[in-house]
Amino acid sequence: MQPLLQTKQLTKVYRVDAIETPALRGVNLEIYPGEFTALAGPSGSGKSTLLYLMGGLDKPTAGEVWLGGQRIDGLSKAQLAQLRLWQVGFVFQAYNLIPVLTALENAAFVLELRGEPREVREAKALEALQVLGMQDYAHRRPNQLSGGQQQRVAVARALAARPKIILADEPTANLDSKTGLALIEHMRSLNREQGITFVFSTHDPRLLERVDRIVRLEDGQIAA
Amino acid sequence: MFNLFSLSWRNIWRHRGRSLLTAGAVGLAVFFTLFYLSFLGAMENSIYNNLTASVGHLQVRVEGYREKREFRDLLIPGVAQVEARLAAQTQAQWVVALEVPALVAGETRSRGVLLIGDRRPAALREAFAKQYLAEGQLPEADDLEGIALGASLARALRLKLGDPVYVYAPGTEGRGAGAYRLVGLLRFPEAAQEARSAYLSLAAAQELAAPGGATRIELHFPFTRYSQDAQLAVVQPQLAASLGPGLSVESWREASPAIAQIFALLTPLVLIFAAIFFGLAGLLVVNTIYLGLLERTRELGVMVALGAGPAQVARMVVLESLLLCSSGAVVGGALGLLTIAALSGGFSLEALYGPVGSEFGLPSVVYLSLRAWDIPITLGFALATGLLAAWWPARVAARLEPVEAMRFTA
Ligand SMILES: Nc1ncnc2c1ncn2[C@@H]1O[C@H](COP(=O)(O)OP(=O)(O)OP(=O)(O)O)[C@@H](O)[C@H]1O
Ligand SMILES: [Mg+2]
Repeated sequence: MQPLLQTKQLTKVYRVDAIETPALRGVNLEIYPGEFTALAGPSGSGKSTLLYLMGGLDKPTAGEVWLGGQRIDGLSKAQLAQLRLWQVGFVFQAYNLIPVLTALENAAFVLELRGEPREVREAKALEALQVLGMQDYAHRRPNQLSGGQQQRVAVARALAARPKIILADEPTANLDSKTGLALIEHMRSLNREQGITFVFSTHDPRLLERVDRIVRLEDGQIAA
Repeated sequence: MFNLFSLSWRNIWRHRGRSLLTAGAVGLAVFFTLFYLSFLGAMENSIYNNLTASVGHLQVRVEGYREKREFRDLLIPGVAQVEARLAAQTQAQWVVALEVPALVAGETRSRGVLLIGDRRPAALREAFAKQYLAEGQLPEADDLEGIALGASLARALRLKLGDPVYVYAPGTEGRGAGAYRLVGLLRFPEAAQEARSAYLSLAAAQELAAPGGATRIELHFPFTRYSQDAQLAVVQPQLAASLGPGLSVESWREASPAIAQIFALLTPLVLIFAAIFFGLAGLLVVNTIYLGLLERTRELGVMVALGAGPAQVARMVVLESLLLCSSGAVVGGALGLLTIAALSGGFSLEALYGPVGSEFGLPSVVYLSLRAWDIPITLGFALATGLLAAWWPARVAARLEPVEAMRFTA
């Protein structure tokens, strides 16, 4: 089977004021459709960097990224924005939502950027909120939601846009472990029931028990 | 359900105080610009109307009359034919005047004056009397006896209504001298004019100095606003061509070049001030929009990460700036229009510049009125302020790198 997402000798060196920090050092990773993958590793091991490069948020120093059979590491800024808009879903650590928009509007945000008509995006966003059990909070603003609820809205936003893959960078980092676990369970059932491919990073070992595939990073490399 | 428009709107009001202040500054600029433009419009109209009421919109005279010294050379040849042409070609009313340098004397004293014999249509006559007649009446059209004098001239000659007045016009083609009765006293804003004004009927002046003669034909168009003056640019050359080479057709501009020049300067001057107002308000807008961006760097980073392109982000910033400016403009504009409407019934300016103002033709009561372009020009300023103020913040926002923006926590 073709991998949905593939990195080849992926290398990233951050350069700030002539100081070079190697964040990734030749990462080869393949993600297959329908997989539920966790990136584990200590702080500074390169988890975020890897997710960013896989999602076309940043460009690698060397190596290749392939998404759905297309090589994306050389794309222009505008092309990458289009790619993210249409093919990749993101969930970030915290402060993911736009504070002036309601949960429903946040869930519909990507669809709005795509220019979908109002009824369509409303229906899709509401459906996604329902899947995550957030339909009753549709008209609340983020500051009227708990941290866990906010993250569920962020997942709903990614879900509503039906991307090829959802990348989540420590989606549970700001949640207590029970809420964090519940969020991962939501993602897990989306993966099982709708076949959505997830890659998420975490350094909470308890979450790793719920995952079929764990990729461990250490010092910018995949640990054996 | 939201769209980017309402997102921008909500973003503006996240910092209510700051945005209110900024929108208020734009509103103030709109308010003052509208007010000044309407004030200017009012001044223009009334100066224009006063001026043209006294000198007419166009004047027909002998070509090169300024250089001519001989009274005889100033007479318009074929006055009747000229009048026939005017009747055929314009919808103006006109005054036929014969101006004669003359000596006016009472029982004991005499003064040199410019004697004017004129024939005015009823409406113009009424307007003239209303504006300048202080006492008594104007000589009737067929009155060969009555004379009206400037009030200060009459005082200098020790004359009162009913007294005999002697006029000498040597070197002319009529009787050259005559005795009249003082029937009216005139008051003019300019002291010099009052001291040397004497009015007869046209018939009386012709009998005195030039049978059938006239030196000036003054055309009055039914204009009420300065903006209508543009029509003269068409009429004036047409008339000049049809009257032929011996006669000149001048407009009030040539008669009062200083006022014409002031007119040309007023609007640009107000617009320069408006540009300064809006420039200052624009700095506040830049500040507000840019601070808003800085505070939302992380949030914008998320938007870009989710796929918002540079153009979409820039559009959002421009939209915020335009909304901020236009909300100020709507409020300032509404208040401005209300104020103008409230003052359009006229308010007195005497307190501001005193009675001296009328010497310069400044109106004592101003009726605020907007000209056709005043509102679009003002809104154009507000719009331009919104666009220019957004330009730099929009560029900054469009260049945002999502990864860096999301690391930003402030
Ligand atoms: N924008 C940047 N500029 C400079 N160095 C960076 C930048 N981003 C990350 N790094 C460095 O790259 C390395 C990998 O960082 P990364 O954020 O990918 O790690 P991580 O595994 O996500 O860590 P954490 O668990 O703390 O989130 C670290 O040494 C980090 O300091
Ligand atoms: Mg990280």
